[in-house]
Amino acid sequence: MILKIAIRNTFRQKRRTILTALAMVVGFTLLSVTIGLSDGAYGNIISMFTRNRIGHIQVHREGYLDKPSLYETIDGYTAVGKAIQDVAGVEAWTPRIYAAGLGSVGEKSTAVQIIGVDVARETRATRFDQKIVEGNVLPEAASHEAVIGKNLAKILSAKIGNEIVIFSQGADGSLANDVYKIVGIAESGDDVTDRTACYLHIEDAQELFVLDGRAHEIVVIVSNINHVDKITSAIKAGLNDSTLDVSPWQVVAKSFYRAMKADQQGDAISRWVIMLIVAIGVLNTVLMSVLERTREYGVLKAVGTTPMQIFWLVICEVVIITLGSICVGALLGGLANYLLSIYGITYPEEITFGGMKLKTLYAEVNVRCLIVPAITVMLSATVVGLFPAIKAARIIPARAMRTH
Amino acid sequence: MEQIEKTDVIVTEGVTKVYTTDGIPVYALNGIDLTIESGEFTALVGPSGSGKTTLLNIISGLDSPTEGKVWLAGKLLSEMSGNELSDFRRDNIGFVFQAYNLIPVLTVEENVEYIMLLAGILKTERHKRVIAMLEAVGLDGMADRQPTQLSGGQQQRVAIARAMVSEPAIILADEPTANVDSKTGADLLEMMHRLNTETGMTFIFSTHDPMVMESARRLITLRDGQIDSDETKQ
Repeated sequence: MILKIAIRNTFRQKRRTILTALAMVVGFTLLSVTIGLSDGAYGNIISMFTRNRIGHIQVHREGYLDKPSLYETIDGYTAVGKAIQDVAGVEAWTPRIYAAGLGSVGEKSTAVQIIGVDVARETRATRFDQKIVEGNVLPEAASHEAVIGKNLAKILSAKIGNEIVIFSQGADGSLANDVYKIVGIAESGDDVTDRTACYLHIEDAQELFVLDGRAHEIVVIVSNINHVDKITSAIKAGLNDSTLDVSPWQVVAKSFYRAMKADQQGDAISRWVIMLIVAIGVLNTVLMSVLERTREYGVLKAVGTTPMQIFWLVICEVVIITLGSICVGALLGGLANYLLSIYGITYPEEITFGGMKLKTLYAEVNVRCLIVPAITVMLSATVVGLFPAIKAARIIPARAMRTH
Repeated sequence: MEQIEKTDVIVTEGVTKVYTTDGIPVYALNGIDLTIESGEFTALVGPSGSGKTTLLNIISGLDSPTEGKVWLAGKLLSEMSGNELSDFRRDNIGFVFQAYNLIPVLTVEENVEYIMLLAGILKTERHKRVIAMLEAVGLDGMADRQPTQLSGGQQQRVAIARAMVSEPAIILADEPTANVDSKTGADLLEMMHRLNTETGMTFIFSTHDPMVMESARRLITLRDGQIDSDETKQ
């Protein structure tokens, strides 16, 4: 009967119910879209950052990440790569060589980072070919050709067809220097990389640095980024080599990951602000409803309804409105996120986060967009409903029935 | 909660109720000592502000006295918790209010049924009693109506049916005939009189209505919060 009264009371004052529900629906939808856009943005940034650059998992010689060195290499990387490929969930792998050196084009010189890549694998793994903004990608066989970063090309005033001379030191201590023809200019989306990167075919790099059959890094791409931790463990187990470090992207790019987390915490604050506004609205209308019906609660109590039953009556009314609002909010929030995941929001100007450039912000449609607002709206509405419910439960019948 | 035995009584001892208005104490009741035996048909009379409604509220536990004690069936009301008082009222006291005070979102049947539902009486039994009670108060065929679809007299009949359906030991009626015409008032009074005679329920009215006063077997007159006279008719 208490539930029946609660349901009927909900429809009794339609305008007030609609107002209360509206506050909840708006709060739910705003929260859902905020989470959708936030997850979409972070998902997009993480995807760009991992898929296009660092991969989802990296394998190095033990300690390389903390102290990169030309000499800390993975020997027989092809065998290691094959073992990695056998792990379920691994989509692709690609080896890399890293070395610092001096690059010169004509009379201009600057510090460069030489990145030796297996062109075919790198294209499959990190879409290397899509980074070329001018000229061509490196051929799949070693050919003494180079692709340089867009900003590096500016610094060196280099053009397609120019030759770049690399000066460095080989792993055997010899002087490493050679000339490569620039066949392409790349843009990775990261300014620092684009200022220093000089991509060579991995065999050219191995020859230059005397690293035959060796690589500094193996980048692994997985089919589902959410399974990175599980696959990392599986690769570790599969390789069973204590001299190799297998690290997920969160460890490889610690500072980037921390910055993302910190930014997400900032989002959480804005979510609380939205919910506070909703809670105040709900408190106001529920409290008004209780005050208006003081006499009725007095009568209910007079005829034998216990304070606890009165308390649940008010809470039931709040929960009924909240459940209805959650359904409507889920529809609106889901629809808004779906549309934003297709059309997105285009920024007036490109924004940069963690070196990644974003032009359009797309939402992500996921369960979190519905679950988090649903829990938040239900909790905040119930919590703010407690005060009016307690107030109603503590009504003194004789006094309550004197009110009009 | 155990129901009051028909031989039990209402006892008040030095009941005082003080309201403070702008710092000035106003005595609504001042040292009321009263004993009501079960089966009585008693009217509390007196001018407005004499304390009739306040006394009804206090003896039913709807309000608490500033001083003094109230025993119902030997139980001291001030020792009961909020939930115990609610249960006690549900099982032992029926209320008829001047303004009917029906629950607006419930139908006539549901209003009458409500207290039995709180008491955990089975649905078939509830339905049977509701139908019988609505017939007794002359509202048969109106079970599905909303309170707003009834006249004042009909609403008061529903209120009486609600008060009596769970067969409480005591019916407290605050000006039950005040908002109905004299014909309806006479009918209601006759009905309550009949129920008192047939079932032995204790009826206590607060009233200004000469018809009720005439019908009552005991007249307690209040004045300025005190008992001015207490007459029992032979």
